[in-house]
Amino acid sequence: MPALDVILNALISGVLLGGMLALTALGLSIILGVLRLVNLAHGEFLVAGAYAGLFLLQWTGIDPLAGLALIGLVLALIGYPIHRFLLVPLAGKGPEASMMTMFGLSIILQNLFVLLFSADTRAIDRSYANVPLEFGPISVPQIFVMGFVISVVLIVAVHLLIARSRFGRDLRASADQPQAAAIIGINVSRVHAFTFCLGAACAGIGGTLIGIALSFTPTSGASYLLTDFAVIVLGGLGNVLGTLVGGIVLGVLQSIGGLTLGDGYRDLVGLVLFLAMLSVRPQGFLGHRA
Amino acid sequence: MTTTSLHEWLSKRAPLARRLVPIALLSLAAAFATAPARAADEIIIGASIPLSGPLAGFGSFQKWGYRRAVDEVNKAGGIAIGGKKTPVRLVLRDDKTDPNATAANTESLLSRDKAVALLGSCTPALVNAGALVAERKKIPLVTACNPLEAFKSVRKWTYVWDLFFHEPELAALPFKALRDLKLETNKKVAIFHDNGPDGQVVGGTLWPNMAKDAGYDVVQNASFPIDNTQFTSIVAEAKAKGADIVLIDAITPQAVSIRKQIASAGYKPKLLVIEKGAEPVQFAGALGKLADGVVVGGYWDPSFPYPGARQLATAFESETKLTSSQHIADSYAAAQILLDAIATAGSLDPEKINTAISSTDKTYVVGPIKFDENHTAKLPLVMLQWQSGKTPIVWPADRANGKILFPVP
Repeated sequence: MPALDVILNALISGVLLGGMLALTALGLSIILGVLRLVNLAHGEFLVAGAYAGLFLLQWTGIDPLAGLALIGLVLALIGYPIHRFLLVPLAGKGPEASMMTMFGLSIILQNLFVLLFSADTRAIDRSYANVPLEFGPISVPQIFVMGFVISVVLIVAVHLLIARSRFGRDLRASADQPQAAAIIGINVSRVHAFTFCLGAACAGIGGTLIGIALSFTPTSGASYLLTDFAVIVLGGLGNVLGTLVGGIVLGVLQSIGGLTLGDGYRDLVGLVLFLAMLSVRPQGFLGHRA
Repeated sequence: MTTTSLHEWLSKRAPLARRLVPIALLSLAAAFATAPARAADEIIIGASIPLSGPLAGFGSFQKWGYRRAVDEVNKAGGIAIGGKKTPVRLVLRDDKTDPNATAANTESLLSRDKAVALLGSCTPALVNAGALVAERKKIPLVTACNPLEAFKSVRKWTYVWDLFFHEPELAALPFKALRDLKLETNKKVAIFHDNGPDGQVVGGTLWPNMAKDAGYDVVQNASFPIDNTQFTSIVAEAKAKGADIVLIDAITPQAVSIRKQIASAGYKPKLLVIEKGAEPVQFAGALGKLADGVVVGGYWDPSFPYPGARQLATAFESETKLTSSQHIADSYAAAQILLDAIATAGSLDPEKINTAISSTDKTYVVGPIKFDENHTAKLPLVMLQWQSGKTPIVWPADRANGKILFPVP
């Protein structure tokens, strides 16, 4: 039985890491909720965000955390032509066509990363990512705390955007009844384009945090995609605040799994939860879309 | 279409069909006739290596080493086959760090590219996947980058040859260095290793046994899947148990993540050994100053007293503008051994090439190479340590060109 401080550290780390996982899943969640698109290139958007943070630092000296808005904007600008030229032409051709297109794009992006940046393992080297925050016997990675705060702020901001703003009203209408929304004058295609760009931006910001806290390669996206599916199923498909809840629950349970079974079983815990949730409560903890 | 009209249609087109048949047959005959002619015009050597995926850092060095050996032979006019100097062509395929792709690539190298001999990939999972295909097809394959016990454990090899380090020697390095350099610790050891073949051998068996024999106390031994990303629990446990010595066997992405998580947990072991993943330059590139003090076993350094060692590193660094790696040396030597064997055989017959490999007895850039009955040649080891982006040798004393940073900064 591990010591009490080890258990406490693991649980707190789980909450913090879960918050970061929620941010990596947020883009996937809102694109799925509004566009009904399973974005299989989401992992590559994360990796693109990590590269963007790395090169922002290397080329300009700007700290990636200070440049998160810029990174989000870059990813949104990358996302727009992808939506316009790859997804819009497939409207009305069923969900499979879009899904397979994004699968193809994920493979193209992986190869493009190798071609442009080599297949080397990278990490964004920041001194604040390598120190702990200590409160008595409790010691957690400082970057986890910073990542958690950024995640919560961003997730709440996206929630408020969707729940309170005029655009959010259009977005919810487009998600629930796209044809009815179009009839009452909502520009559904523009809402979809903006949502896709927002999803890409969130993924990019999440990827930058991963790059600072951990490491990444051109093919790292696939493993995060799996974890992100578990997060959004736990929280409720398309539910923004549910994504945060799902991330934290997954983070804590993975930490308990890591503590009791070993870190090698973290992903197993996540996938078992994913399957259990799908069979017991497929709508997730929060149960409805935002 | 009725029966009559079908008959008419066939009758009208029959002359055309009759004219096409001989053309098709001639084309087929020409295709078969030209295949041996192509093979005689060049000697094709194939290799499936990881040019993408987590092990791409190794693959890029292998590519350079293999190519350099082939280029040197071609500059000298090629290899005499049947009395005629024949150029060598190296065909490389990317296995994407996937053993299934290595096996498929090896099949393609033999059936489609018509390779007469092969060079290996990197790490046991990949090398062994390709080696088993070569063995089945009775085509000689020379490899490095595959620890010898992991290689020998697969089967009794006939056509595959391996030059690399011996895991028991690698596993013993930290304990010998601790003893010889008189490094003071609390003798508590934590071991983290992946569950790949070599991770299991080194981290699961050898390190615990050797630690016990050397009087150390293994307070933790944790294994994890090769692609694991989170290590907070095992790091927290090692910290709580106060291990001064941490021994890790993991590939580079995981090695980088573990090192960051050790630091961000505020854990400061005195000796930090990371085998496998800390070898490539990208490890230090990703971690910056955090790489300083990390120790890794090494089987080659440009300072080694073997012919061409210094020149090889200089050539690599001037061509690529990158810091050299030991992997350029073993891949270069493996290719040289294979090319020498083809020259000795004077033939493209796989059996003759294989016999020539078995007779190898020469000093290459990695040292003297002579294969034993298990088809292995052992490369002696030293201990390297990352210090400001370089890896000086810090043990043994007779080869050291740097002083160990202890404890880890």
